[in-house]
Amino acid sequence: MADPELQEPNIIAENVQVRYTVNTNDPGNRAKGLRRIANAVSGRHGQTTVRALRGVNFVAREGEMVGIVGANGSGKSTFLRNVAGVEQPDRGRILVRFQPLLLGVSAALQPALSGSENVRLGCLAMGLSPEEATDAFDRVVELSALGAAIHRPMGTYSSGMGARLRFAIALAARPKILLIDEALSTGDATFAERSERAMDELLAEAGTVLLVNHAAKVIQELCTRAVWMHKGEILMNGPAEAVAEKYRWWAWNVAKGKEDIADKLLQDVVSNAVKEEINILEPELIRNPIPRHAARPVKETRKGARHMRQQREIEEVEETPAPMLAAAESQVWPKDFDAELPKAKFPSLPKPASQAVSAPRIHDEPPPLRLRPSRNRVVLRAANPDDRASSVAASDDFTGRRLASRARKIADERYEKRERIRQAESSSAAHEDSWR
Amino acid sequence: MSETKNPLGLSSIPSVSSEGLVPVGRRTSLRSYLAALWNRRHFIIAESRAKMSSSTRKNLLGYGWLFLNPLLSVLAFWFIFGFILQSSRGIENFIGYLVIGVFFFQFTGKSMTGGTGAIRSGASMIKGFQFPRAALPISVVVRNFLDFIPSVVVMAILIAVIPPAEVITWRVALVIPVIILQTIFNVGLACFLARVGHKIPDLTNFMSIVSRFWLYGSGVFFSIEDRLGNHPTILAVMQFNPMHSYLTLTRNSLLYGVDSPTWMWVMGIAWAFGLLIVGFLFFWRGEESYGRS
Repeated sequence: MADPELQEPNIIAENVQVRYTVNTNDPGNRAKGLRRIANAVSGRHGQTTVRALRGVNFVAREGEMVGIVGANGSGKSTFLRNVAGVEQPDRGRILVRFQPLLLGVSAALQPALSGSENVRLGCLAMGLSPEEATDAFDRVVELSALGAAIHRPMGTYSSGMGARLRFAIALAARPKILLIDEALSTGDATFAERSERAMDELLAEAGTVLLVNHAAKVIQELCTRAVWMHKGEILMNGPAEAVAEKYRWWAWNVAKGKEDIADKLLQDVVSNAVKEEINILEPELIRNPIPRHAARPVKETRKGARHMRQQREIEEVEETPAPMLAAAESQVWPKDFDAELPKAKFPSLPKPASQAVSAPRIHDEPPPLRLRPSRNRVVLRAANPDDRASSVAASDDFTGRRLASRARKIADERYEKRERIRQAESSSAAHEDSWR
Repeated sequence: MSETKNPLGLSSIPSVSSEGLVPVGRRTSLRSYLAALWNRRHFIIAESRAKMSSSTRKNLLGYGWLFLNPLLSVLAFWFIFGFILQSSRGIENFIGYLVIGVFFFQFTGKSMTGGTGAIRSGASMIKGFQFPRAALPISVVVRNFLDFIPSVVVMAILIAVIPPAEVITWRVALVIPVIILQTIFNVGLACFLARVGHKIPDLTNFMSIVSRFWLYGSGVFFSIEDRLGNHPTILAVMQFNPMHSYLTLTRNSLLYGVDSPTWMWVMGIAWAFGLLIVGFLFFWRGEESYGRS
């Protein structure tokens, strides 16, 4: 793959901070005085503020699959919810190229409805037209591999089946940015295989996947890069192998109760952590260097022709002859002085570039986000329909086919590479077993 | 994304261009919001039908309840108010009067309670997909509208079958604009209450009481003009109530075949469109907040 720095970014998060005010049961956190009485009446104990994210800077580029690891409560899910736009961060901002699609743990959409009805509802919610939803239906059923269970109510599904259907629905719209929050960890081996293939294809088409998974091995296998989050901050950001390995070692020590080693490891990582900063280049500033507040139209009191406005009007100030001044008895300001003082006049400035007639109209609002670029392909067509070239172009869209086949090739390469690694691992494991 | 060193050996901050990137999950302008909402019209219909079938599927009688429920409530109200309390005094064709009141009020009452809980009940859809959230309260109203249609049919049959014969005039057609006005009113109400109900979850408890009070105040089973004849201020306040207008308009055109006063039509139209604009704008202003629970 090309240098990741050269790829276009799909997600930029800048200094994202999120805090929640939640009820707490902590006896050490009791409110005092009047508020305590109010809490007693309402059946609450007290409230605390939890800082879920403390300034996360993050960039994900095209064709990247970024794994996010971290202990429970480190802010992984909160971060994904914010990237998906379900919530708005309290501070900072998140920019995306396409509308991300979030796959959460809670799988059932409408538990009383059958799987097939949920497929249709989900497709329509993603903005597909009814025809597109009908077209996508077979693909969804095939990818979910639920068989006859697709006609049962979704509430009767096991969590793994629900996750499979949710994943298949999400891919029906062929989104460019997919955020997976533990959703695939309940699937079985055959589904893992299918979902990996599907994600390979998504990545090959310049998409981006963020994957939260507690199994560091999955992150190592699938992701190109990994991020370790701890208490709402990014501790480590680098190649998936290295980050996942460090995290695994730390988590293993925590699990074994070796607090001192775990703390030391964490200390080591924290001391090496660089607070990442990013510098976002604003395209608006390049296009329109005059800030918007300066370009705001100034209220004009008098309207005239443009050539008339250029004329400077100089008000004649009446000059007082010197002898009269000398004759004045005192030099104090007269008390009943109400002559109008001449006001300062400023020449009218040339129009800012943004208001020029020829300048492109600046829309205050960006175009609406889509899950993927619109389908409108540019098809070259000759003016004469009898022309051979045009008939070829009309009968088959070669450019689209070539791009698709290239994407499939990239996906296949990724898949084969992963398979090779897995086989090597299993054979080495078998080797070790035979040694024992 | 690792630390990059420039020729001087100092670490420099990596730069990324935000060309073509857009803030996510932001409230869009009203124009594009409405466009997005129009694009999801199929979703709104599918969502409302899903709600309808998921609520009926649990019952043995299924869709039968769409007819049975209003029928039984009419029976109960007739027994209490018509038979025991004799509130039918001075009202001709009391059964017809009652049937129209109960059915038409139920449409708005259900939209009100459904709208209040629309965000909470749609939480899984909100978390899963990005769509204009106004689709949720609107789908509540559409769902209740779909429920309402069969009960209108029941109502028509009941009124035709039960003895006191109606005066059938061309004014029967006026029921259609009344239903349209009431639906518009309900959309505005559901949107307004959806945001309030999201902000103040306690409102769901309060709503059942408000709904009941409104039911009694709208003259569903007694005529407020007769009862409050000697309290002109209270009567004026009660007549300001939009539901009273809608019910009276329907009764006049369907039951009694007489013209309704113009002020009633004006009030019905003003309430419908006024609340639609206010409620929708209010809901739209809170668009970014609905993901947080």
